[in-house]
Amino acid sequence: MKFVTRLLAAATAACLLLGLGIGQADAQVLDRIMKEKKIRITAQVDSAPFGILDKNNKPTGSEIETARQIAKDLGVELELVQVSGPQRIPALLSDRADLAISSLSITTDRAKTVWFASPHGALSIVIGGAKSVNIKSAADLAGKKIGMTRATLEEQEVPKIAPPGTNIVFFDEHAATQQALLTGQIDAIGCAAFLINDLAKKAPDKGIETKFTVATAFYAVAVKPGNYDLLQWVNTWVFVNKLNGVLAKIYEQNTGVKLVDLPTL
Amino acid sequence: MRTFGANEFLFILTAMQWTALLSLLAFAFGGLVVLAIAMLRISKRPPLRLSAAGYIQLFQGTPLLIQLFLVYYGLSLFGLRLDAWTSVTIAYTAYAAAFLGDIWRGCIQAVPREQWEASRALALSYFQQLRLVILPQAVRIAIPPTVGFMVSLVKATAVASIIGFVELTRAGQLMTNATFQPMIVYPIVAGLYFTLCWPLSVWAQRLEKGMRVGNALGTGT
Amino acid sequence: MTYVFQFGIVFDRFGELLEGAWLTVQLAAMALALGMAVALTCAYLRTAGPKPLRMLVVAYVEAVRNTPFLVQLYIVFFSLPQLGVRFEANQAALVAMVVNFGAYATEIVRAGIQSVPVGQIEVGRALGLKRFQIYRLIVLFPAIKAVFPALASQFVLLLLGSSVVAAISAKELTAIANTLQSTTFRAFEVYIVVAAMYLAIAVGFRAFFAAVYWFVFARGRER
Repeated sequence: MKFVTRLLAAATAACLLLGLGIGQADAQVLDRIMKEKKIRITAQVDSAPFGILDKNNKPTGSEIETARQIAKDLGVELELVQVSGPQRIPALLSDRADLAISSLSITTDRAKTVWFASPHGALSIVIGGAKSVNIKSAADLAGKKIGMTRATLEEQEVPKIAPPGTNIVFFDEHAATQQALLTGQIDAIGCAAFLINDLAKKAPDKGIETKFTVATAFYAVAVKPGNYDLLQWVNTWVFVNKLNGVLAKIYEQNTGVKLVDLPTL
Repeated sequence: MRTFGANEFLFILTAMQWTALLSLLAFAFGGLVVLAIAMLRISKRPPLRLSAAGYIQLFQGTPLLIQLFLVYYGLSLFGLRLDAWTSVTIAYTAYAAAFLGDIWRGCIQAVPREQWEASRALALSYFQQLRLVILPQAVRIAIPPTVGFMVSLVKATAVASIIGFVELTRAGQLMTNATFQPMIVYPIVAGLYFTLCWPLSVWAQRLEKGMRVGNALGTGT
Repeated sequence: MTYVFQFGIVFDRFGELLEGAWLTVQLAAMALALGMAVALTCAYLRTAGPKPLRMLVVAYVEAVRNTPFLVQLYIVFFSLPQLGVRFEANQAALVAMVVNFGAYATEIVRAGIQSVPVGQIEVGRALGLKRFQIYRLIVLFPAIKAVFPALASQFVLLLLGSSVVAAISAKELTAIANTLQSTTFRAFEVYIVVAAMYLAIAVGFRAFFAAVYWFVFARGRER
């Protein structure tokens, strides 16, 4: 009897979830944003130099500044929606955020789920580790434990180049992955090149260095599929700010590296 | 290199208020929902009873993390645009209601059957029986395990950190990342939870000792 | 724009989820066995041990019961290596689970032990049984019987709580689900299926405990 109850419960819940699975997104998101005078943008604050907390624990970083600039140019208030890495896309799909601006690299896989604007920044994925760890090329990864964060570009790219015998483990967010590297729980890390520089600077005693580059990519603002008006506006924004140098300024100030020529999507 | 200092400690301490507030909200709203569930659960009509039992089983049989995710992102799939606070509060309310519902059902049923019969003999209606005779007795039995559950609830809010909600645990994580001193940060986080939970635990134990009705086992999580 | 559920993608990779579920079950079962060993020892020390040890057990139980499992997990995985104690992700998960369940079970078993009437123990002493024999034969059996349901529900809570060990890269059910959702982007489908799997595991364990109770305590045995 109890089992039947449980079965019923599970079935009811499943039906509820399925039956209600129809939601209407706003036809004109941009209108709504202008009317509410507020735009909600994802903020990932554990991913230097794209998003971090400054000395006073306020969000900063190149993507946070990009979000601020966008809100300013729209003339609306900015609400930062704090997310961890894997939540960037769900936050967008579930309308929790209007835009995802969290160094989302453009990939064909992701494009099945979200719509990308033209890229506004570039990054490369590298393998990094302590000086004492002997890794020079992909072949050296065999037998090593490599950590990376789920739902990132490295999650897609590193397994492609890893030889058999590589032990790849995943964490739910950059904070945990970096911590695992610094506490020696993993031999090496797959992440954005900038992050290695940041780690080397913040924890000089650990001697973290870049071993080799795995892939390079461009990242962009993403919108929920169907939001043409918002996408069009963001594309226009990228176009204008590429020409007037604002994008390059934000990028260089935060990363310390010159922005490469950005292609157009 | 940034080290763990007053600024970092303050950040964690500030986040502690969100842990406390989330626990309080979930407890308050959960308490409202729960009374309805406990009543349904002891209803004489099978469909009502079963749906309440199903609800309790569902929320007690699946991980909070998964519930949180489904509610946090799932609700807006149905066209509801809610801010992070509202959805996290809804998720924890649903969670609290399921556990409290079960605790309170047990307490209502712990009231001796004769009390129902006696009050029926006094020609009281079903709701009058509940309100005037059964509930006042059940509430007395229910207080210690309810306070005990509050401890569980405070601790359960830590899971919200995984979806990026900035509360005590997430603040600790962010500070670990800024300072690279997990050996300092996490014990401090644990200590702060302890200061929130310990008084509640002691209170629950005291209440329990004061009652000593039949089975004195709490319902800890 | 409506969201269309696509469960096909999830079921294509159901095998991976099953592997994750198996690790979840293994972790939980090992934590149960080891945690009970911890609990029986600590409950004995707590009720019959010398005072300093008794205090130590109280401190352990209260420290664990008043802090979240996730924080305990972070301490085992991230903080202990700084002291030179290093566990792999799965080991760290198991250690944290044993420590956690051990504390709760200690408290539950202690309550069970204290519910055994003093007269019973005096009878045992009168029969010339040794202290440990009394503990094993006279106290423990009825005590465990009395608290068996509480132990079982505590275990189910541990099982469900173990979903957070994904955060330190252990590869159990939730971890696989997270990887699956980040590669297929079908988050809602993945989590609905995983919720159902946890429900099934929880129901399975509850049935197992009911069976154990029936065979050990109920079936034609005195007390």
